[in-house]
Amino acid sequence: MLTVVAPVFHYHQFGEATRMARDSGLSALLTCGSALAVFATIRTFRREIESGTAEMALVHPVSRAGFFLAKTTGVGLAVLFFALIVGATMVTSVTGAAVGGHMAEKTGELARVWAPCVAAGLATLVLPLVIAAALNRFARYRFVLAAVRLALALSLLSVAVFSVLAGPHQLLRLLPPTLTLVSFVLFLVTIAASAAVRLRANAAVAATGAVVLAFLPFVGNYYLAEVLANGGALSWTYVAGATLALVPAVAAFLLLGVRLCREMD
Amino acid sequence: MADDNIIALTDVEKTFRDFWLRPTVKAVDGLSLTVRRGEVFGLLGPNGSGKSTTIKMILGLLAPTKGSVKLFGLSPRAIAARRKIGYLPELSYLHPFLTARETLGYYAGLCGLDRKTAKDRTAQLLKMVGLEDVAMRPVGGFSKGMARRVALAASLIGKPELLVLDEPTSGLDPVSTKEVKTLVKALKANGMTILTTSHLLADAEDICDRVMIVNHGKTVAEGNVGELGTSLEEFFLAKVGEANEFVLADFLS
Repeated sequence: MLTVVAPVFHYHQFGEATRMARDSGLSALLTCGSALAVFATIRTFRREIESGTAEMALVHPVSRAGFFLAKTTGVGLAVLFFALIVGATMVTSVTGAAVGGHMAEKTGELARVWAPCVAAGLATLVLPLVIAAALNRFARYRFVLAAVRLALALSLLSVAVFSVLAGPHQLLRLLPPTLTLVSFVLFLVTIAASAAVRLRANAAVAATGAVVLAFLPFVGNYYLAEVLANGGALSWTYVAGATLALVPAVAAFLLLGVRLCREMD
Repeated sequence: MADDNIIALTDVEKTFRDFWLRPTVKAVDGLSLTVRRGEVFGLLGPNGSGKSTTIKMILGLLAPTKGSVKLFGLSPRAIAARRKIGYLPELSYLHPFLTARETLGYYAGLCGLDRKTAKDRTAQLLKMVGLEDVAMRPVGGFSKGMARRVALAASLIGKPELLVLDEPTSGLDPVSTKEVKTLVKALKANGMTILTTSHLLADAEDICDRVMIVNHGKTVAEGNVGELGTSLEEFFLAKVGEANEFVLADFLS
């Protein structure tokens, strides 16, 4: 929401609308994305194990490794979906703020500029929910499925429209830090998944937190030092390096999860 | 004949351990049993006797501490063995937000059925368990008996050769109980092997060819239902009662 309404601040002559929209978007991606990754992963695994549905799945011709990897991938996709929505909202808002700022300088009519930007951002967030509710009420569509599909379509559409309006500059500028943060958030999914196989929910959250604390200087590299301090401008070489550095850690936690899942009684 | 043994347990033990790997309870203690192709085998015993633990070892959900468990001559965790089994747990573990149709579709997917076969078999099973009219309702809103029927249909979705039923009539009304018993008899007539546990001895007596009574994780008695020379209930109480009386006498002395 902060990302969406950030262009409003331009109206109040803060002069930092674009930066606020970008920083709040990246902050949401890291903080909410991390929280979602940890809690959704642990909740998904623990609920399956404690409610007995994992047991029901495992008596079918499914290997334990397959079960673990499929569930982890499922949560990873949900986190990616969240990142896409936040990322698209951020791109829409940042691009809208930039275009609005440019037009406002020319015309001096600020109110007429930011209103459509905020409306577009809000529409990306709210419209899928409203349409999904209507589809559920009148056509008995599954609400969540409809909302997810519509949100995906609208997010991509808004990114495309605003990128055409303002050129691909903002999109290309926002993509590297976004991808870097998303790769880190996905790494958290693998830690939380392997912890949740063996430990109860609270202990799994604590274990994941402990691992993240151990990685803290590394996390600093991912976010504070590189993304914010450099104003969101990251080189693709850094993105590739950071993502590759995560690969062995992700692989190690996936292997640990598979092993714990095989030994699970 | 060895090839006719669908399930073979030899001197199986299971000791549960806590987080620090300290032994907490020995649930199964030196149990051996075989279930032959085409028979209905009843595993009977009081609460906490080790029936569910034994079933979970047969299904590969628990690893035995000692001894060997073979399912179709393979490890219970072998994918090839698990393609041939269906399982109805004591409590119907279902995803509450899925509809009855989606639930069966999900388990059909886990069995590797193609979309058309899954759709046909889902429709067939929903009809069989009498849930056609509520197929589009989330199972979270179902009564215990309805959820049990969905779970029973899910256990049959892969057309298993071995059906494992843990307390199949638990939570069902008398009419549904009779339907389940009729279904078990029909499945047996079609050549399916069935392993069942039950607290309701009259039900077990109706459907089982052979029974094993376990108590404290050990075999107390085993035999054909028709050869017990008394009702299953009397036989059961005599066997389990003996063990309990022994413990009581030991305590009183």
